[in-house]
Amino acid sequence: MTGPTGVGIGWRPEISGFVAGLPGLRFVEVVAETLAPAGPLPAGLAALRERDVTVVPHGVKLSLGGAEPVDPARVAHLAAVAELVGAPLVSEHIAFVRAGGVEAGHLLPLPRSREAVAAVVANVRRAQAELPVPLALEPIAALFDWPDDELDEADFLTEILDATGAGLLLDVANVHANARNRGGDPLALLDRLPLDRVAYVHVAGGAEHGGFYHDTHTDPVPPEVLDLVAALCARHRPPALLLERDGHYPPAPALRAELDALAAASGYPVIT
Amino acid sequence: MITLAATGDTWGVPGPTFLRLYLAMAAIALVGTVLHRRRVLAGPDTAGVDQLGPQQVAYLNGGDQLAVWSALGGLRGASAVGVRPDRRLTTGGPLPAGLTPLDQAIHHAAGRQLPARELRRDEWVIRALDELRQGLEQRGLLLDADTRRSLRRGTLVLLALLVLGGLRLFAGLANDRPVGWLLLALIGVGIGCALLARVPRRTRAAEAALRGLRRSNAYLSPASAPAYATYGAAGAAMGVALYGTASLWALDPGFAEQAEIQRQALASGGGWSGSSSGSSCSSGSSCGGGSSCGGGGGGCGGGGCGG
Repeated sequence: MTGPTGVGIGWRPEISGFVAGLPGLRFVEVVAETLAPAGPLPAGLAALRERDVTVVPHGVKLSLGGAEPVDPARVAHLAAVAELVGAPLVSEHIAFVRAGGVEAGHLLPLPRSREAVAAVVANVRRAQAELPVPLALEPIAALFDWPDDELDEADFLTEILDATGAGLLLDVANVHANARNRGGDPLALLDRLPLDRVAYVHVAGGAEHGGFYHDTHTDPVPPEVLDLVAALCARHRPPALLLERDGHYPPAPALRAELDALAAASGYPVIT
Repeated sequence: MITLAATGDTWGVPGPTFLRLYLAMAAIALVGTVLHRRRVLAGPDTAGVDQLGPQQVAYLNGGDQLAVWSALGGLRGASAVGVRPDRRLTTGGPLPAGLTPLDQAIHHAAGRQLPARELRRDEWVIRALDELRQGLEQRGLLLDADTRRSLRRGTLVLLALLVLGGLRLFAGLANDRPVGWLLLALIGVGIGCALLARVPRRTRAAEAALRGLRRSNAYLSPASAPAYATYGAAGAAMGVALYGTASLWALDPGFAEQAEIQRQALASGGGWSGSSSGSSCSSGSSCGGGSSCGGGGGGCGGGGCGG
């Protein structure tokens, strides 16, 4: 299977009929934890594999940013799922979801310290040793900066990527959210990121609440995020862009329009 | 011994002769019925059945009531109907394009504030349902009344044989003749009768079409928690058609509850043929003799036990 290319969409059971009806689709992403490693694949996903659509498992529970070593069973699950869907790569977040045995239930940001870099690098290497395919890392959105940050976002990411050889899964909505919520110029961040390391890009919708931009994945993609996609592609076009929608699914025409807007912003072929 | 046996023959017909005749008749009746049934139930080639609309699918899958729910699901998915606090239906929003006669009849009934459970008895709705059914009969997907009657006729012949054999059995028992083989033959006919008693409403072509539709529309099954907003009114209607009113509840629980729509999930077998089982023989009573004759069967050791 080839790496992800063009415009794709996050495969979710709720919209699998819609995804199956996209004629030009070459690439989807599936939440790794929703798949049984021994199979069988959900029917909709199996049908996409028969069409030779690239399926990238996206982990959310590895907790690569945890202080403790990554759980071997979870790495084994991700590896098995990668084999099951014939994935060219898998992705995970630079975040922690549990600490001291307590599950946070969602992705928590790391302080950008040398210590955190070392912890992440150690965990990524442990995971890479067991994974059959390359790993791409996704930085997460954060509403705040840790007070003892030693590195800025770009340096933090670059150090981790350089030390591990992992790819970058860049979330454009997060870039927008971070710049909007913590101040800063999203374009300046793009200029400082190793864009040649981007394996693919996440694009999701969000909404403003109480003066903050929330990366909800349940709202439409705002024009600012699409502009940022265009700006990114003007600098260095990533091989693939993926629309993430995790709930409050809109009517099919609206979803198709979002995919078309992504194609227009990136210059990739329309898949609808 | 031989003369004794001859004069003691039940109805003057020796047991082996009766048994042979009886088995021959039973075989002809069974084979004839099965062949007729196979031919009638085949239905047309499955080509073209993928163009079935949700209401046709619903009718095939669950009859009148499911077709009504499917249409109501579609109309609700398009926000063309609502429900009032007094649990009566109401109309709302613009009428979507491409409505079927059943959609129109239900929308009309909703405009007259009928409760959902009474839709099926509405005159317009009944007319639209008849139209729907006739269309499916003409396409060879549903059996019409005449065909179903002709299928029951074969079963009636078997039932007559069962009665004849039963009479012979009791006569034989009264006559103190061995009846083991006859009992076995009766059990066979009884089983055949029971298997053929159910006259299906839809042809094998329809069964195949439904199976194919369930496969190709698996994303609409309640297990996938389908996003009906994305799939639109047609998706809602097809979801109800294939998976029952559970889909209607998933689509709009507030509406389904307020309109008092009974929640029912259809398993992959479809939930409909049960009510249609043939009148003729329900096996239990006629074959019940089997148990009471257990001793008689045991007593029959030799070859010719035709009663």
